[in-house]
Amino acid sequence: MKFFKRNGKPMPKHVVEMAEEVKKNGTAVSRREFITTASAFGATAVTAYAMLGMKAPARAAAHAKAGGTLRFQQEVRALKDPRTYDWSQIANVSRGWLEYLVQFNNDATFTPKLLEGWEISDDATTYVLKVRKGVKWNDGSDFTAEDVARNIEGWCDKSVEGNSMAARFSTLIDAKTDDNPNGTDKIKDGVLEIVDSHTVKLNLPAADITLIPGMADYPAAITHKDYNFETAIEKPLGTGPYIPEAIEVGVKAVLVKNTNHTWWNEGNGAWLDRIEFIDYGQEPAAWVAAAESDEVDSTYSIEGEFIDIFAALDGWKRADIDTASTIVIRPNQNNAPYDNVNVRRALALAVDNNVLLELGIAGLGITANNTHVGPMHPEYVDIGAPEYNPEKAKQMMDEAGAGDFEHEIISIDAGYRKDTTDAVADQLRKAGIKVKRTVLPGSTFWNDWAKYPFSSTNWNPRPLGVQVLALAYRSGEAWNESGFANKEFDDTLTEALAIADVEKRKVKMQRLMELMRDEGVTIQPYWRTLTNFSKDTVGGADHHISYEYYPHEMHFKA
Amino acid sequence: MGTFLLKRFGVMLLTALCLTLIVFYLTNLDPNLEKLVKSQLDMRTSDAQVEAFLERNGYRQNIFKRYGEWLGVAPGWTHTTETGEITGRCIPAGSDPADAPTFCGILQGDWGFSTVFKESIGGLILDKLSLTGVLMFWVMITMVPAALIIGVLAGMREGSKTDRTLSTFSIITTSTPEYVSGVVFIVVFASSVTGLRWFKGTAASAMDGANWENFTLPVLALALYGVGYIARMTRASMAEVMTEQYIRTARLKGVSFWGVVLKHALRNALIAPFTVIMLQIPWLLTGVVIIETLFNYKGFGWTLVQAVGNNDIELMMAVSVVAVFVVLFTQLISDIGYAFLNPRIRVS
Repeated sequence: MKFFKRNGKPMPKHVVEMAEEVKKNGTAVSRREFITTASAFGATAVTAYAMLGMKAPARAAAHAKAGGTLRFQQEVRALKDPRTYDWSQIANVSRGWLEYLVQFNNDATFTPKLLEGWEISDDATTYVLKVRKGVKWNDGSDFTAEDVARNIEGWCDKSVEGNSMAARFSTLIDAKTDDNPNGTDKIKDGVLEIVDSHTVKLNLPAADITLIPGMADYPAAITHKDYNFETAIEKPLGTGPYIPEAIEVGVKAVLVKNTNHTWWNEGNGAWLDRIEFIDYGQEPAAWVAAAESDEVDSTYSIEGEFIDIFAALDGWKRADIDTASTIVIRPNQNNAPYDNVNVRRALALAVDNNVLLELGIAGLGITANNTHVGPMHPEYVDIGAPEYNPEKAKQMMDEAGAGDFEHEIISIDAGYRKDTTDAVADQLRKAGIKVKRTVLPGSTFWNDWAKYPFSSTNWNPRPLGVQVLALAYRSGEAWNESGFANKEFDDTLTEALAIADVEKRKVKMQRLMELMRDEGVTIQPYWRTLTNFSKDTVGGADHHISYEYYPHEMHFKA
Repeated sequence: MGTFLLKRFGVMLLTALCLTLIVFYLTNLDPNLEKLVKSQLDMRTSDAQVEAFLERNGYRQNIFKRYGEWLGVAPGWTHTTETGEITGRCIPAGSDPADAPTFCGILQGDWGFSTVFKESIGGLILDKLSLTGVLMFWVMITMVPAALIIGVLAGMREGSKTDRTLSTFSIITTSTPEYVSGVVFIVVFASSVTGLRWFKGTAASAMDGANWENFTLPVLALALYGVGYIARMTRASMAEVMTEQYIRTARLKGVSFWGVVLKHALRNALIAPFTVIMLQIPWLLTGVVIIETLFNYKGFGWTLVQAVGNNDIELMMAVSVVAVFVVLFTQLISDIGYAFLNPRIRVS
């Protein structure tokens, strides 16, 4: 049997082979990685599942009631240029009118939204993006390939402060570096090609398999050429079914249905008349109070002990999702004594990740192995659990001459991040290593998050394992908080980023994961299961794998 | 009287100037500026970008020059970008730089722009103050009569059972800070822990319309501390008045006990509590910081927390000015009122 992409072309050979492999000796994990891969290469969810001889799970949207006001508990932050979004919460509000090319789903598939589909060459150097026909901006003009091209150019503009899309699209950028002092920090010439009114072609200078996942990330909102976030209330230019009525930072954001606009996906979502995002601050106790006072219908994300409290509420239901959300407790190699690999390895040796999972998040997740790549990533290789040996750790620490050094571990002041970091400190102390704990409030913690000599940071999930390695562990990256700079790692990663075939990429990945561990880069103890709660009557507001909520999917059940 | 008022306003201005200068200096310390930039751009911004932002937005000028800009006595900064675009303190985004005024500080009635709320501060502070005003109004309405009644009842017969009971009550309430009583109230009256759920444990909806259900707990939590405190003062004052010669004389003349209390003792006993009540107002202003945050009632106190947490310089300056005004103005009223209540004291 032959399988085809959305556009009718056959699936690449390596994907077909992978399907056979998974069918033969598939576990849930390998099925999942297959579906992500096949989906990124243009298979519909139905095709991807069919290739495994399975049926795609039905989406429960059939029983939605039209109309109503949904109140959603979530922080309300000020809008900014979408490229510079640093909080998923901003995107959750703007997703009402600013849509995305691609959407990443909880079942690890990608759904084309403003794209109709895409084709990626087998060597992952040519992308053909098919722009969806019939999409209109809410000012009445047509959405075309020009718009897509303009947005991609914008993403590749590294000179825009805080533009995190530039890191996701770095392959396309003529970056100014020491080796290339004349770089423009903009998109390279010849990369972007508008083929016709609804086709955009990307000719990459090097293979990159992460572009589609990058387009699904929350800062990748597609904007109109005249869109200005400062005047978004008066002129909410976008393609989506809602418009913002009011955005009061820290208080409330209100989306109302745009009655003057025909949404391209009309009849297939956007049931609610009005969605209110209400800010109840950072304290989960206040969220409980809001739920008990019947002031909200759904919540953003509930953690730790509050899960039990919410679970005890009448009329509320729980939604769990296993994710690649995680925490790293990392030494920064630019600071002594962490420039010594043995010190770093000793730190990892002294802690048991199972204990951190238990103490940090009460077992609500799965253990990880200090590599920041996990079983939810397609190219994950099981290299075994990290060694736990406190005696050896102490010995190594002493031999490295840091036996008397007092390690200061910094963390943010609340929740699982503090608890997990406390647990690390505790285990280090038990191993006989001196530790001082410093807890900083959220408002100041992030000032130097990437520079603290030893601290913990939470990381949001990325669909592919190579993505997060490229973002956080490549030499010189802005988000490289561990100060890791290793030529072999960088080179291997560059190679891995160019391999579309998952099996072949795994070979490189294994080396990358080994390097992460051998170099003692980080302690990455567990992957989190994320949970939120909604009223029984609410649908389409279940916790998303990367904290994305879709106004057009939220509804009350009929 | 006129010179007295003039002097007082002079002091008020001077205090406001000094305080804002201190606040301005502190908020413009380097780490605070960095915090500001990161809240503006991205919490993971690089140092070079931070510096570029500070340079471009006028933060790297002399601090007194910048303070002068805020006051409106120094011309606002301007910056010309590489592409020739002119931005500046007095040039709102999207407007023509040629039309912009040279000065734009509080002397020109421009309180600046909040970096957290992305709104102009004048209107923002007014909105938030009116929300807090509503809260404080209900707190005063509850607190003052309750405190006075308790204080008078306790003080009129010192050492009696009523006195002991009410004194115990006031000591307990005044020794319970509002962040404790607030949490206890939420747990007892608004959660499924006790199952009572008489009220709502959050006052977020009270911003749109305060009612019995959503406003009782914050008002009670705030009022309770003051009730105990003012009641103690009233009791002391009442007890002292009740030992005065003229009270004994009145009693001996045959005036009934209640007649003595209401006609002769009360007016004299209320002089001291009046000052205390006035002084409670600035104290309430700090109390709302906790209560508004706890109950998610987004008024002045909550705004202060947000401003400090994000190093919103101009908003903090505005908040300081309001605070100075409230403190000194209530003192002024209490001084003048004191003179009216007690003829032995004269202002001037």
